[in-house]
Order: sequence, then structure tokens, then C-alpha cells
Amino acid sequence: MPRHQTLSIWFFVGILTLAYGLVLFVTGTYEFSHPLGAAVQLANLHATFWWGLLMTVFGAFYTLRFRPGRT
Amino acid sequence: MHFSLALFFFAGNRLAHLNGVDLLILALYFAMVVFIGFYNRDSANTSEEFFLAGREMTAWIAGLSFVSANLGSLELMGWAGAAYQYGILATHWYWIGAIPAMLFLGIVMMPFYYISKTHSVPGYLQLRFGEGARGVSAVSFAFMTVLMSGVNMYAMATVMEIVLGWNINFSIWVGAITVGLYVVLGGLRSAIINEVLQFVLIWAGAALIPILGLIQAGGWTNLKAQIVAHMGSGYVHLWSTTGSATSNPMGVQWIGLTFGLGFIISFGYWTTDFLVVQRVLSANSLRSAKLAPIIGAAFKMFVPLIVILPGLLGLVVLTNSDGSLMHLVGANVATAGQHTYNEVLPLMMVRYLGPGLLGMGITALVAGFMSGMAGNVSAFSTVWTYDIYGAYFNKKATDKHYVAMGRWCTVVGMIVSIGTAYLVASAASIMDYVQALFSFFIAPLFGTVILGMLWKRATRAGGFWGLLAGTASSIGMWAWVKADPMNIRFMILQPDATAEVINKVQAMSENIYRAMWSWSICVVVTVVVSLLTKPKTLAELDGLVYGATKIPSEGDYPVYQRPIFWAIVVGVGLITLNFIFW
Repeated sequence: MPRHQTLSIWFFVGILTLAYGLVLFVTGTYEFSHPLGAAVQLANLHATFWWGLLMTVFGAFYTLRFRPGRT
Repeated sequence: MHFSLALFFFAGNRLAHLNGVDLLILALYFAMVVFIGFYNRDSANTSEEFFLAGREMTAWIAGLSFVSANLGSLELMGWAGAAYQYGILATHWYWIGAIPAMLFLGIVMMPFYYISKTHSVPGYLQLRFGEGARGVSAVSFAFMTVLMSGVNMYAMATVMEIVLGWNINFSIWVGAITVGLYVVLGGLRSAIINEVLQFVLIWAGAALIPILGLIQAGGWTNLKAQIVAHMGSGYVHLWSTTGSATSNPMGVQWIGLTFGLGFIISFGYWTTDFLVVQRVLSANSLRSAKLAPIIGAAFKMFVPLIVILPGLLGLVVLTNSDGSLMHLVGANVATAGQHTYNEVLPLMMVRYLGPGLLGMGITALVAGFMSGMAGNVSAFSTVWTYDIYGAYFNKKATDKHYVAMGRWCTVVGMIVSIGTAYLVASAASIMDYVQALFSFFIAPLFGTVILGMLWKRATRAGGFWGLLAGTASSIGMWAWVKADPMNIRFMILQPDATAEVINKVQAMSENIYRAMWSWSICVVVTVVVSLLTKPKTLAELDGLVYGATKIPSEGDYPVYQRPIFWAIVVGVGLITLNFIFW
């Protein structure tokens, strides 16, 4: 008897995106006090921080919306 | 010991250096895909579950998986390189070379694939034309898919060596073992989940490059002006320079683009290549199966933002350490220290992405590589099990036996792929042969399938001989041009073409012309033989052919929820974009 599928594909998408968002958010925050070298162009725009924030919000929404037990 | 271990992981110089955060992101991805495989292992016990994901995917999941199966990392890097080399013309392979075919699959062809309850494209040919056509198509598909998987494996390992300095053996074995593990455990369901994840990761990892690039270039208008100043106006127009092969950098003409690429190659690939069609067959209803390719087409339309635009930006923003503009070159002429066209995407990543973001970009490339490989082996195991093993070797085995066979041939497919990868590593010219071989089968197969679906009069003998003649003529034309490249002038109907024109055509459009001819030969032979042989009765064609089949209702939905409505929306979007970038 196959096990009933309980985790949505979108939950997997949410949880991975949330994890990545948090890693980028923390890295981006650190870079405010420890700026990147000249090798990375447009580092002054702090893309890592803002992209991390965006992915955190996106990932959190999908994780909560498709969390196990919620239909 | 430590030295040899280091050699297993790293080799030579590299474009990018990953730090701890980047490696953490990569490790999270590997952990997730392996977890998905183990999580789905109990949901792949029947053949329907293992090979078709239980036919319970929603339109969105099947649609994203459909477009993602084609969005491999080699595709991303290759077309970014093509955009650098040929300009915006490369976009045709994403727009006219994909969207119309995807919409046609959804609206016209999907009902027949879906209601015939076939498990594969060769399976449909068996229902429509009998064992002969199925045999030709199944053997060629299985053989080529597993070889292509090996070629991709080698090519990606080479990319990882150039970009990250990873040893080729390390990339081949880690990639193959991971993919083999999750496909053997979870079947198509695992592959589909990972393809959806990959789609999100590719956008998350690559979307910042065009955004930051456009900021630095001063917006689209400034970018265009700079490209025209450096390279000429042929690099920024989609159609206005395609009046003749000599007036654009790609050597293509509008007739070849519309009929050859937009109709034959594109329809052949998107509507009959089982690697992509299998994703849509996993849909949970006819309406979902029709919507899935339309959703895929809508997303496909935006892929040039993360592939073509970085290539165009590379023409303007990539500079050497002394501030001069960088000039990338073809792989065949690159000298030590020179970067090639295909490196434009990694070069743009290194330019704009700091720690963490670079890891995201590299993870997107790795994810693309792995899901491409998973697509190949899952399609291979389905065609082998149903259309070769189940059709010719063991027709009456239990369902459990076929699932076991599917798992085993996934492993065998992986091992053959690894063997092919090492074969290519020992003689790089094999790669060109394998890639050419794949193009032999697609165009004639489309001729056979489309006549089978739309023309009641097409007969069993017509289908078989048409497919065989089209495939044989495709191989024959390839060998003819290989023997003397000047022979291509007859294929393009320009007997007095100069060597310069021949060179241009060979670089980008030889496949297009060969596809047009082999498709035409397939269609003519199918029609002639069919008219000379006895047709099937209407009752025999029920569920297989337009005009002999009552298409079931999609349900009572408002207009804006119907597939045809969204197909029209996407079609109008495609036409508008082509006019904007005319």
C-alpha cells in the first residue's frame, strides 16, 4: 500500500527558497559592515541583501501556504 | 594521499572561487534532491506511479516541469554564448522556435496523446501505425537519449572544470550518482519535483545578472545603442535583417526561421520528443494536460531575459583588467588565456555576484545539469521498459516486474551515460557525431505523428515507410555534406553559393535545412504509400485521429479558465514581442 503523499511540491520549493533567502540575507547584512572588494561590480547596491530579503519573503509565503496538514 | 584527493576535486585554473557560503548553498541543494528521492520511494510502486508519476500532476507542475526539462545548464550557457556571437537573433530559438509548437501541442495534439492513454510517443505510434513504426522510433529514441545523456554529462563536467576548477571525474560521478539515486527511488515524480525546483533556482540564481547588467549599461536603449556602435544593427533586430543570409550575423533567412525552425524543428522537438512530452502525460486531467504546455510556453517566453540578455550585455560591459572591452572567441580558435563565447554567462556571474549569490548561480547550473540528466534517464527507462522490453522481450510480465525493470534500466542507462561521457572525453569529435545523430530522428518523427493524428487516410505501411525514409534521408544528407561541405548549396537551393555563405549556413542553419528536407520526404512517402495501401476503419481510429474521435469535454469552465483562451493570450504576447524587437 503506497504511503499517502503529504508534502506538496510547492512546500519543497518554499522551504529551499526560504533557507537560501535566509543565508543570503545574513550574508548581505554582514556585507554592510564588511564591503566586498572591487572585483564584484555594483557591490554598493547590496544585491545580496535585497535578493535575500525577497527570497525569504517568497520562501516563507510558500512554506506557510503549503505546509503539511494545510490543504 | 591528500594531494591525490585534492586532484580528484580540483584541476587547473578557474573562473570563479566558491567560499563557505556558496558551498553551503550547493550542499543544501544536494541534501534536498536526495531527500526528495527518499521521500518519494514509497510513491513509485506501480508502473503508472514510477513512469508517469501516477498521472496526478496539476497543470502548473506539469507545465513547469515541461519547460524545465529543456532548460539545462548547457542550454543556458550555450544560448547566452550564441547571443554574444550572433546578437538578438538567438532569441528566435525561444520564441518562434518554441512557443507556437508548445501551444499546438496543448490545443491540438494533447487530446490524442492523453485520451489514447498511451505511456509514450512510440506507444502512440504503435496504436496508430503498428509495431514497425513503434520499433523504429523506440530503438532510435532509447539509443540516442542515453548517448545524449552521456554527452551532456561530459560537457557539464568540462564546464565545471573551467568555471570552478572541479576535476572532470568528480563532476561526472557525483552528478550521476545523485541523479541515479533520486530517479531510481522516486521515478518520474522525483524527477518532476526536482525540475520544478530547478526552474525556481534558475530564476533565483540568474535573474540578478540582467538586472545589474542593465543598470550598469544605462538601460535597454543605451545598451542597444552601444551594441549597434560596436557590432552593427544586425545584432539588435529579430527580423529586419533576415531578408538574405548575408545581411545578418547568423546567416539565416526568414523562410528558414519560420518554416524550418518555427515549424519543423520546433514542432518536432516540442511535440514528439518524449523527454518533454512525458512531463505533460503526467497531468491529472485532460484540461491540465492541455493547459500544461500553455503555462510552459508563457514561462518560456521570458527565458530570454536570463539567457539572451546576459549574452547581449556581455558585448558591452565585459572588460579586461586594463579597462579595454573583452573579446570572446570561438572554442576552436581560443588561445591560452582567451575566454570563449560559451563562458559569457559564468563571466557575467563572476562580475556581478558576490558570495552567496555566486553559489546560487552555480547551484542553478548544477541543478540544470542534473535535471537534464534525470529527464534523459527517466524517458529512457520508460521507452525501454514499455516499448522495447515489454513489446519484444517479455510481454506478459507483472506490473511489479516492469517497475523493477524500470529501476534497473535507470541504473544501466546511467552507467552507459558515464561510459559515453568517458568515450567523448577520449575523442571530442564523438560529441559532434552524437549531437548530429539526435537531429536525424526528430523532424521525420514529427511528420509521422502529425499525419497520424490529423489525417485519417494515413495507413500502417505509410507511417512505417515514411518514418524510415525520412530518417534514412536525414542521415544520408548529413553524410553527403560531411563528405563535401560544398554540397550544402544544393540543400539551400543556391547551387552557385559562395564559400562564405556555405560557412555561415554550416555554422547555424545546416540542421534547419536538413530537417526541412527530411520532414518533406517523410510526409511525401507517407502520403504516397498510404494512398496505395488499405486504410484503417473509422472504428479502429477512434481516440487516435482528428475527425474519428469525439474529444471529451474539459468541463464547464468560464472562458478565462479555458486552455484555448490562454493559448490566444500567449500567442498575442508572442506576436507583440516580435514586433517590438522587429
